[in-house]
Amino acid sequence: MAAEDVPLDDKAKRMRDLLSSFYSPDPSMSSNASSKPGSLDAINTASFDADQYMDLLVQKSNLEVLLKRHVEMAAEIKNLDTDLQMLVYENYNKFISATDTIRRMKSNIVGMESNMEQLLDKIMSVQSRSDGVNTSLFEKREHIEKLHRTRNLLRKVQFIFDLPARLGKCIKSEAYADAVKFYTGAMPIFKAYGDSSFQDCKRASEEAIATIIKNLQGKLFSDSESIQSRAEAAVLLKQLDFPVDSLKAKLLEKLEQSLADLEVKTEGIESAGEDSTSHSGGGSSIGNHEASVGEFAEAVRAYRVIFPDSDKQLISLSRDLITRHFEVTEQYMQKHISSAELLNFLKIIWTDVLLLDNVLEEAGLPDFSLEAARLVVKKYISSKLTHFQQDIADSLVGPKERVGDYSLQDALEAGKKTVLQGSMDVLLDFRQLLDDKLELVIKLRDSIIDWVLEGFQVFFRTLDDHFVLLSEKKSSLDQGLKEGAQTDKALTGLVLVLSQISVFIEQSAIPTITEEIASSFSGGGARGYEYGPAFVPGEICRRFRSAGEKFVNLYIKIRTQRISVILRKRFTTPNWVKHKEPRDVHMFVDLLLQELEAARSEVKQILPQGIRKHHRSDSNGSTTSSRSNPLRDDRMGRSNTHRARSQLLETHLAKLFKQKVEIFTKVEYTQESVVSTIVKLSLKSLQEFVRLQTFNRSGFQQIQLDIQFLRMPLKEIAEDEAAVDFLLDEVIVAASERCLDPIPLEPPILDKLIQAKLAKS
Amino acid sequence: MQGASSGVGYGLKYQARCISDVRADTDHTSFLTGTLSLKEENEVHLIRLSSGGTELVCEGLFSHPNEIWDLRSCPFDQRIFSTVYSSGESFGAAVWQIPELYGQLNSPQLEKIASLDSLVGKINCVLWWPSGKHEKLISIDQENIFSWNLDCSKKVSQVQSQESAGMLHYLSGGAWDPHDVNAVAATCESSVQFWDLRTMKKTNSIECTHVHDLEYDTRKKHILVTAEDESGIHIWDLRMPKVPIQELPGHAHWTWTVRCNPEYDGLILSAGTDSTVNLWLSSSSSEDGMVESPTKRFNPLLNTYTDYEDCVYSVAWSTREPWIFASLSYDGRVVVESVKPYLSKK
Repeated sequence: MAAEDVPLDDKAKRMRDLLSSFYSPDPSMSSNASSKPGSLDAINTASFDADQYMDLLVQKSNLEVLLKRHVEMAAEIKNLDTDLQMLVYENYNKFISATDTIRRMKSNIVGMESNMEQLLDKIMSVQSRSDGVNTSLFEKREHIEKLHRTRNLLRKVQFIFDLPARLGKCIKSEAYADAVKFYTGAMPIFKAYGDSSFQDCKRASEEAIATIIKNLQGKLFSDSESIQSRAEAAVLLKQLDFPVDSLKAKLLEKLEQSLADLEVKTEGIESAGEDSTSHSGGGSSIGNHEASVGEFAEAVRAYRVIFPDSDKQLISLSRDLITRHFEVTEQYMQKHISSAELLNFLKIIWTDVLLLDNVLEEAGLPDFSLEAARLVVKKYISSKLTHFQQDIADSLVGPKERVGDYSLQDALEAGKKTVLQGSMDVLLDFRQLLDDKLELVIKLRDSIIDWVLEGFQVFFRTLDDHFVLLSEKKSSLDQGLKEGAQTDKALTGLVLVLSQISVFIEQSAIPTITEEIASSFSGGGARGYEYGPAFVPGEICRRFRSAGEKFVNLYIKIRTQRISVILRKRFTTPNWVKHKEPRDVHMFVDLLLQELEAARSEVKQILPQGIRKHHRSDSNGSTTSSRSNPLRDDRMGRSNTHRARSQLLETHLAKLFKQKVEIFTKVEYTQESVVSTIVKLSLKSLQEFVRLQTFNRSGFQQIQLDIQFLRMPLKEIAEDEAAVDFLLDEVIVAASERCLDPIPLEPPILDKLIQAKLAKS
Repeated sequence: MQGASSGVGYGLKYQARCISDVRADTDHTSFLTGTLSLKEENEVHLIRLSSGGTELVCEGLFSHPNEIWDLRSCPFDQRIFSTVYSSGESFGAAVWQIPELYGQLNSPQLEKIASLDSLVGKINCVLWWPSGKHEKLISIDQENIFSWNLDCSKKVSQVQSQESAGMLHYLSGGAWDPHDVNAVAATCESSVQFWDLRTMKKTNSIECTHVHDLEYDTRKKHILVTAEDESGIHIWDLRMPKVPIQELPGHAHWTWTVRCNPEYDGLILSAGTDSTVNLWLSSSSSEDGMVESPTKRFNPLLNTYTDYEDCVYSVAWSTREPWIFASLSYDGRVVVESVKPYLSKK
């Protein structure tokens, strides 16, 4: 029990010590301090104080405990005593056995000395013997070594002497690799002794090597050899220090040549493709082309293997090929090709590109050709639209050789058809381009859409400009050829046709095209939104609406200008103050009516018939001459002597007060509107000319007669009776105002003269 | 007088074709106009805009022996003016002086300073040099250009030089370059001809047909504005006479007359036989106006005055108040309008 307690106490104490040493730096202090208050367990420590222990024990314990302690302690002491005894005994035993061993060793050591000496002797004798052998054999060994060296040398010499023959054998068996190996092995010797001892040998082997080089070159250039062997040949040549670069240059030249051949072939295909509605001929030639491009690709692959450093040239070569392809395409494009044909080209090019890309990835051919295709397609779209514009212009002007037969109606119909059909065709054509599954095209899809839209926008803009140009050319031509043959009549009509075409484009072509574009050209947007949409139908409509109005006005202007010329001649030539009595309706009336009739026939061919109506609000000017002039009435009233003429004026005045007629109304796209505008403007001009003259009575009567004659046919032409009546009256009023003696003709005479005129015509 | 007119009206007794600004009158805004009546007694009216600008007052009424086809006020003496007149058969031209104290006389007579009679042809117009005092006058008749020496105090005039335009050309009007005292432009049937008064030779010509009226821009050298029958208004730079630098649509019928504003660049007034007066702002008011950018294609037409009953054959800017113009329609009505509301748009 005590034995158990002690290690327990021990353990606990050690733990305590550790803890205290951790918490206080001085363990002695703590142990002193701790022992003082008394630890009955400190019995095993070094600082154990028996008296203190006793005091503590006595103080702390009662008698019973003390007695118990006493018994325990006695037992412990007894135990310790036995332990001690045991230890002493054991140690003693060991000591005795050790003494015995030492004694035994002492006796064994005595005989060893002599044995050792014997051994030394024997070793000495062995050494002397071996020295003897060494010395006796040394001479022989040296000799043997020398012999061996000589033999090696002789073998080498033999090899060199054998070299030409061996090389010859190699050539025969085409084992060029071995030959080269041998030759390069012999090279150092030839370099060292070639000039002296082995001269013949060297020469012979060099000759052999020369043949080898020749053979190798041949091999390199021959297309029938496998790439592997050709590559090997190249490597061997390089090992022989042969100038490979020049070889490479030669080979590449050859390749380039074959490239040129290839291009010619391409052209052949394209020309074949041109009329290859039958697929047989075109297909086979396309096959040929593919094969030759395949060959080229193979060659490229071979050269890459053969000359690993030739990439750069090869890349430029293959790019050249592609560029040439595109150039040919562009050239061909000038011949007005369709999208399908363009696609054929692109397809051929793309297969070539893919073939080449397989062998020469570094060239970046797909990207390269994408760029080129971008340009080509863009050009294609713009050229297509240019052709289209030309078509329209041609259809408007008509076939040049038979201007006379080409009626305005034909021109208009042809123009309309060309515009609508042509634009649909062009769109369809472009759509074909879009629908194709060719990778190249798919990549360009967005851009193509943008180009098409942009192209159309620009197209209509330039078309408008072109129209203006056409009309200007015509109108200036008109001014030059006033006397007017058949030809320039047609040209005047052209202005009207242009107007109608503009209206047509605005009202039906653009909506159709917009619809078509919306349905098949959605997407795009590659060009960025900051520029806004590429195709703005609104803007184009606006353009053409204003163009239509402009052309119609221009037409009217040209027509009225011509009439003005007639009128000007009529009114500036005679001396009105000394005019003779009217005997006949003046012939200018015929000219005037003829001009109007010409205009009407032109207009009838082109413009639709309209519903007759008046637009009061559109009027921008009204002429009711002398309306707010009471002075004149006054004057009329006063001049009693000229009762007759004032009567005439009064009737006119009364008429004027009844109706206020618009003269300058907005022109509409109807036959009536255009013709009556021309008539009204002409009559207004007539009035102005009259106002600038001074008439005598006969002059006035002449005017009266002419106007009276005009009244019927003009009403028929203009179909706006009120305005015509009004304007004709205005002319008579103006004439009477400018007349010194305005006495009108008597109605019967007037009638008679008019009847005479009618009978004549 | 009626409708939505903002203008001030004044009625003449008879029909009339010409009105002129009295430039020399620096105290008032006045205009001179003359009637065109074949059979009645013609009158010259001196009209003054009242100080409030709300009324046109007749300052003087003078009888004129014949119907007046052209009337121009002397630029340096407010009492002097020239007329071209016709008696039905023959044409004549004269320089007149308004008598002093005319307000007190009942029916004062005009004093004829000089008669510019030449024997030939139909006189079209008499030109004063527009830029100040100059003793010369130009008269243009159908076949000739005359240069007259005028001495107002001695009341004599004599032909200084004369040149015939050539057989096939009938002159119809003209304008005197305010920037060059020796240059006169004359219109004939198919072209505008430029004459040098020192040599009396034709120097240049512009091909354009049937010009009714033309005027030099008083603000800028080399700029000429023409009004044509059907083609509207053309603005020319005389250094580049091949093509006009700008084209204005003009009127629904003939454009009869054009007048450049003496103060505001590019402001042009035109009148036509469609009974309207149009106010334009030409874009060539800036030097690089020829480069027409499509983005700012503004409408050059500022306003159309439609308050007329008959053709307007004459308009005149006031020199004193350059935002005011007077227009005269054939029925004898003078309307004075202010363009102030449109100036702010510039």
